[in-house]
Amino acid sequence: MVQVKEILTKALKKLVYDPLKIILKSRRGTFGLIIVLFFTLMATVGPLIVRYDPSTVNLSEALQPPSLKHPLGTDWFGRDILAMLIIGSQDVLFVSFVTALITTSVATFIGILSGYMGGKVDSALVAVTDIVLTIPGFPLLIVIASVLRTSNPILLAAILSITAWAPLSRAIRSQTLSLREREFVEMAKCLGMPSIHIIFSEILPNIMPYIIINGIFAFTGAIYAQVGLFMLGLAPYKSQNWGVMLNLAVNYAGAVFSIRQASLLAPAICIILLQVGLVFLSGSLEEVFNPRLRSG
Amino acid sequence: MWKDRVIGGEIISEYLMEARKLTKEFEVSVGMFKSRAKIRAVDEVSFGIKEGEQIALVGESGCGKSTLGRLLLGLIKPSSGQILYKGRNIWRLSRKEFEEFRRNAQIIPQNPYDALNPTKKLSAALIPQILRHKIAKGRSEARKMALDLLEMVGLSPPEDFIDRYPSRLSGGQMQRVVIARAISVKPQFIVADEAVSMLDASLRVEILDMMHKIGEELKTTFLLITHDLGVARYFAKNGKIAIMYLGDIVEIGETEEIIRNPLHPYTKALLAAIPVPDPKIARERKSIPLKSIDVPSLLKPISGCKFHTRCPYAIEDCEKIKPELRLVGNRWVACHLT
Amino acid sequence: MRWIVKRIITLLTTFYIAITLTFFLIRLMPGNPIDVMINQYMQQGMSMEQARIMVSSLYQIDFSKPVWEQYIEYLQLIIRGNLGVSYIYTGVPVARIISYALPWTVFLLSISITLSFVLGIILGMFAAYRRNTKADHTITLFSTITNAIPNYVLALIFLFFFACVWKIFPMRGTRDPRIPPGFTLEFISNVFHHATLPILSFLITTVGSWILQMRGATISVLGEDYIKVAEARGLKGKRIMFSYVGRNAIIPLFTRLAIAIGYMFSGSVLIENIFTYTGIGYYLTYSVTARDYPLMQGCFLITTLAIILSNFIADLLYGFLDPRVRIER
Ligand SMILES: Nc1ncnc2c1ncn2[C@@H]1O[C@H](COP(=O)(O)OP(=O)(O)O)[C@@H](O)[C@H]1O
Ligand SMILES: [Mg+2]
Repeated sequence: MVQVKEILTKALKKLVYDPLKIILKSRRGTFGLIIVLFFTLMATVGPLIVRYDPSTVNLSEALQPPSLKHPLGTDWFGRDILAMLIIGSQDVLFVSFVTALITTSVATFIGILSGYMGGKVDSALVAVTDIVLTIPGFPLLIVIASVLRTSNPILLAAILSITAWAPLSRAIRSQTLSLREREFVEMAKCLGMPSIHIIFSEILPNIMPYIIINGIFAFTGAIYAQVGLFMLGLAPYKSQNWGVMLNLAVNYAGAVFSIRQASLLAPAICIILLQVGLVFLSGSLEEVFNPRLRSG
Repeated sequence: MWKDRVIGGEIISEYLMEARKLTKEFEVSVGMFKSRAKIRAVDEVSFGIKEGEQIALVGESGCGKSTLGRLLLGLIKPSSGQILYKGRNIWRLSRKEFEEFRRNAQIIPQNPYDALNPTKKLSAALIPQILRHKIAKGRSEARKMALDLLEMVGLSPPEDFIDRYPSRLSGGQMQRVVIARAISVKPQFIVADEAVSMLDASLRVEILDMMHKIGEELKTTFLLITHDLGVARYFAKNGKIAIMYLGDIVEIGETEEIIRNPLHPYTKALLAAIPVPDPKIARERKSIPLKSIDVPSLLKPISGCKFHTRCPYAIEDCEKIKPELRLVGNRWVACHLT
Repeated sequence: MRWIVKRIITLLTTFYIAITLTFFLIRLMPGNPIDVMINQYMQQGMSMEQARIMVSSLYQIDFSKPVWEQYIEYLQLIIRGNLGVSYIYTGVPVARIISYALPWTVFLLSISITLSFVLGIILGMFAAYRRNTKADHTITLFSTITNAIPNYVLALIFLFFFACVWKIFPMRGTRDPRIPPGFTLEFISNVFHHATLPILSFLITTVGSWILQMRGATISVLGEDYIKVAEARGLKGKRIMFSYVGRNAIIPLFTRLAIAIGYMFSGSVLIENIFTYTGIGYYLTYSVTARDYPLMQGCFLITTLAIILSNFIADLLYGFLDPRVRIER
């Protein structure tokens, strides 16, 4: 029992406490972490405490300015903008997270397979990757989304991942290629360790930091594409999403536009904050993984 | 048909490892338009290593030593020729037999800083293979073995080391762990590829002594690859030296004999470059007036003896006919002039 | 030569795959557009047979034939540059719509990418030479932040403030239809007036990435030995800065130019929509919402082709600039 406790404290120190110390040392890292935590809370706890049902239309309360009752005012249908923002964050974060997960997993799988196997498998996978890299990602997304018309978040995430894995896969392949030549890998082979062991114990841990950081970039990319898709009105409206808010703001532009800004500016600022926070956090994580980058 | 051939004055079965006309070609891309070219890193090499022998393979950088070493270990496939382990072609072994060979032939790579996974503790460098080859019955026994190994390579108390990350070791300590890693599966044959060239001079002797000791205690056969004849001589003092030049082995023999009386002009040139403490030998040894200092490129194949472009004694035959390894006294030499 | 041929083959394969992809996407997916369109016509009172003939005439492909024959027919049409007829703009060939739309997109993207690249290189080099000064920190922070902002979000904010609130720039369109096109100052300035906000949206969200890349590249080149040798030989600072450092730092950035162009085409779909800028991206989303599949297919293919071509040009340029691509060991 004592041992278990000791191992747990050690792991906690290594996985949470030490990285946190490095992240909090830099102003950007602190900012990034706070932003990301804030939005995570908003998407998980927020919907539980939100006071308004954002799907009910109440035209008598339309376009109200910020007040105690509606901290960010209301939109054209009298819906509370803060409530919409909070409910919308749930979808944005969930779908983007799943997309990032799919994108990085596929990229890691294909990249490592390609780099480790070499030969014909590699040539074939490189050719596929090159082609996917050239096909315009967002236009393809639009075409597929319009044909599939899905509101299933997992399926949506899968669509969003369709071309996003290619650049990362290419990078992971080249990392694998150079790791494969490293002497500890050759030694493991010589010792008769099976490929599974070499991939999971020798190669993967060494690219893990790279994968995590690129996972964050995949996350930002997914936010971009997802919100963009909804903003264009090309994904079904069933879900609440910041993109839907932007879409409504644009469509109801013109005369009303200049009066009611919160419904446009609120999601726009949220998206910018979240993206900048994620980028700052990833920069800080890079310092966690790569001691040479640490300053001071 | 190979069975009865006699190489090196001995019958093949006496060899633990043997190369027969072993050749490795690499495809490389060269020039403006990335045209494909083939280079022969190892060119029809034949020789044998006896059980328990300590042999040093010497040659300039790029002459194919590492390639030959990796061929002998079965880490890369030969373009042609055979590698025999106890008289059997390793690329014809059954899966199970190959696994047995795999366990018995280990490498100690050149760069100790690169031979340990930086993300894993030392235990991860030592234990998995012990379990995989069922050398230990369970995890706790394997860990016990790993501790013994660390002790054996001079890292004590081993309990202080086994849970460290490689970044917390010095270069010399890392090389010790690498050696422990190589002997963890109780191999019969170890190729140590430039195992000490990255280390400080003061550490070299220690590590060489240690490998020597392991070789004698565990009856392990060692092939030490080095570009430094001095290191070769020190390590293989009771063993043999093989001299390699541009993919060929040009001379093999007892270490002391080669040092005292080199036969191949290339061996003479290499020897002239190392300092000798004995003034008598130093006076006897004349420096060789090489025609050129540069090693020729492998991209342009050289006819005849590959050394003829630099050899001061080259005759017409040297440009045309490739000399085979011939027995001269107790020694094998590939030179028309001996 | 070999690598050029190899590149051309890869790019042609890519285009062929894009063509095939759109074909099967449109024809074989569940709820596929052909069936949807036939249904739409039938709801307007046509018979099944009439509706199919109608749709066939839009695509100029006979849909009663087996799929593989349709596919061959479709390939032949594409090779001849025939992209079918629009469904929404009744009777107008898709190729004609594209020929109106494409120049605007090319205009927008080429100006944005050139400005962004040049500005990025200058500022990146400047930051690298002033490493760890206040100016450098400011530029780096600006780049990191702007690089993280989605271009369409910035476009919306610009639209809101510059067009709706302050009315400095027009809200929509590529030009004022009342001004006759021509080489007149009035027309040209009007075109640029309309293009300013879209270009700014692209510029600001892409320049940061060039700055950061150029800064990194310059710093690593500055650390190389031959720069120190050049300095030791007494070459003037400016000369080293531009002819040695600049050249060597820019070269690796060229490979990323092709990728950047691809991303910008993706971004143009969103930006053009926000400013109702009638380029390819605008028509692509328009055709998707209007379910005008011949137009959608045309827009998608032309975008792919444009990216393939810019990839190829970037490759050639890079091969031309960097001797290492040619003389490789
Ligand atoms: N994987 C490879 N691909 C292509 N060429 C190789 C490869 N490995 C080695 N070579 C070439 O083979 C020759 C011999 O290399 P090597 O065996 O490493 O020499 P040494 O160990 O004696 O320095 C060199 O010219 C080297 O460039
Ligand atoms: Mg070597």
